Amino acid sequence: MQWRTIFAKEMVEDWRNFKWVWVPLVYIIIAIMDPLTTYYLPKILDAVGGMPEGTIMELPETSPVDAFMMSFTEYSMFGVIVIVTITMGTIAGERKSGVAELVLVKPVGYLTYISSKWGEKLVLILGSYLLGMLASWYYVNLLFGDLAFSEFISATFFYGLWLSLVITITIFCSTLFKSPGIAGFVSIAILIVMSIIYKVFAKYLTWFPNSLSSHIRESLYNGKVDGDLWGTALVTIALIVVLLYGSLFTFRSKEMAS
Amino acid sequence: MSVIKVDQLKKRFDGKEVVKGLNFELTPGKCVALLGPNGAGKTTTLRMLSGLLKPSSGAVSFEGMKENGDVRQHIGYLPQYPVFHNWMTGKEFLVYVGQLATLTKKQAADKADELLEKVGIAEAKNRRIGKYSGGMKQRLGIAQAMIHEPMLIMLDEPVSSLDPIGRREVLTLMEELKKQTTILFSTHILSDAEEVSDDLLLMSQGEIVESGSLQQLRDKHQTSKIDLAFRDDLDTYMNRIQDMSAVTDCYIERGEIRVLVEDVERARTEILRKASQENWPVTKFEVSRTSLEDLFMKVVKS
Repeated sequence: MQWRTIFAKEMVEDWRNFKWVWVPLVYIIIAIMDPLTTYYLPKILDAVGGMPEGTIMELPETSPVDAFMMSFTEYSMFGVIVIVTITMGTIAGERKSGVAELVLVKPVGYLTYISSKWGEKLVLILGSYLLGMLASWYYVNLLFGDLAFSEFISATFFYGLWLSLVITITIFCSTLFKSPGIAGFVSIAILIVMSIIYKVFAKYLTWFPNSLSSHIRESLYNGKVDGDLWGTALVTIALIVVLLYGSLFTFRSKEMAS
Repeated sequence: MSVIKVDQLKKRFDGKEVVKGLNFELTPGKCVALLGPNGAGKTTTLRMLSGLLKPSSGAVSFEGMKENGDVRQHIGYLPQYPVFHNWMTGKEFLVYVGQLATLTKKQAADKADELLEKVGIAEAKNRRIGKYSGGMKQRLGIAQAMIHEPMLIMLDEPVSSLDPIGRREVLTLMEELKKQTTILFSTHILSDAEEVSDDLLLMSQGEIVESGSLQQLRDKHQTSKIDLAFRDDLDTYMNRIQDMSAVTDCYIERGEIRVLVEDVERARTEILRKASQENWPVTKFEVSRTSLEDLFMKVVKS
């Protein structure tokens, strides 16, 4: 009951401050930006002109899988930044402003408080992400060639786990710090450190969450989901659960009013 | 019979003891003022009672609460500077916190309407809280504390930040609420405490220095005193007066020396004799009785 109350309140809040409008729009733009520019680049260059007579443009042929993967590459950068900016204040902001004092003096469980907010951000962001991927899939089919629906679904699902992890990391930082800015900064820092660790030890870290996108690429090429992808997915889900309970733990140890 | 019982409640912040072992009980249906100067530990105390802060040691127990029950079900709390979701309307906010306090949506909506009427902001219920005035927010704050009909409501400085009209309105409202529930409110203004409260807890530097009903305290602290003013530096005379045998205590307040005495006759003779012998430049000599105000000032100054 209380879970639904807070969830619904977050939905209304994000609707009234237009997040339900701009986040889907931005996510669609992020997803289709790269496939579209790649396709139209030669035509644009032609139209603009300025190339010396007789220049031969040798652009490598882009496969549907490569074009589709471009969306994930863009999400790993801009998508993540959008997630951190809209999620960092979820809990830190309420604590900083003081509303949390009124809410948490009512008999609300801390886990309810955290997980309902987490759930709403998950719906907002993954919903926008799904729209973006649908748009990307549409253009890839139109411009680069066929990509099976089942492959679209499986790639979108597995990359969605990575975005969910990013959301959870940001929520965790949001319970850890009272200032949304610092929560956002630390979330980005954690993501950068994770990516460095992965780059250095890639050989040993086959199931590290950061390897999701390379496993997805392989599975798209091979046309089947292999064990490594499942393994990485399980590790990612486990990490999400651990971080959620970690949030609860840090939040409990905080004094709401100080 | 008590609503809440506080036993050796202590709070330390970074090694500094802000609340030093409080013991008190609140009787149902009473309005109790937690009176003390700024920094006495009033807010910290209220926050511990409301469960927002964890006591360093000591216990708070509620009448009729089950083992492992949630304290928060039984209390309503209004912080000193309540902050709401400004994008919500007054009614939406009340329904929201009502549901958080385990009312159904229907119950919360009915209760919200009733309370908005009672606190006098019914005509603004569909306006965004961001557009409310300070007094309206304070009243909405009181309404949100009452939404789940708690056994005890705690108000932290409910009138301190309001203008005279807002203060009057909120005090009248508290007068009204007293009939339904137990109220504990903090204030640093004695006249506010005298106006609505039945009992007083006088707090200073993390301790309760005096408590009882207003009448008891008035009776207890009505001792005789002599107010003296001089056309000269007060401190020099202060020391001499302090040494007199008939004087129990004296302190300086508003440019006058307040002399507390046991026996007025004896003190008067003694002071006047000395004054005439040494030719003191006395401009005022008045025999009166101490009030709660004097008690409060004494506590604040010490």
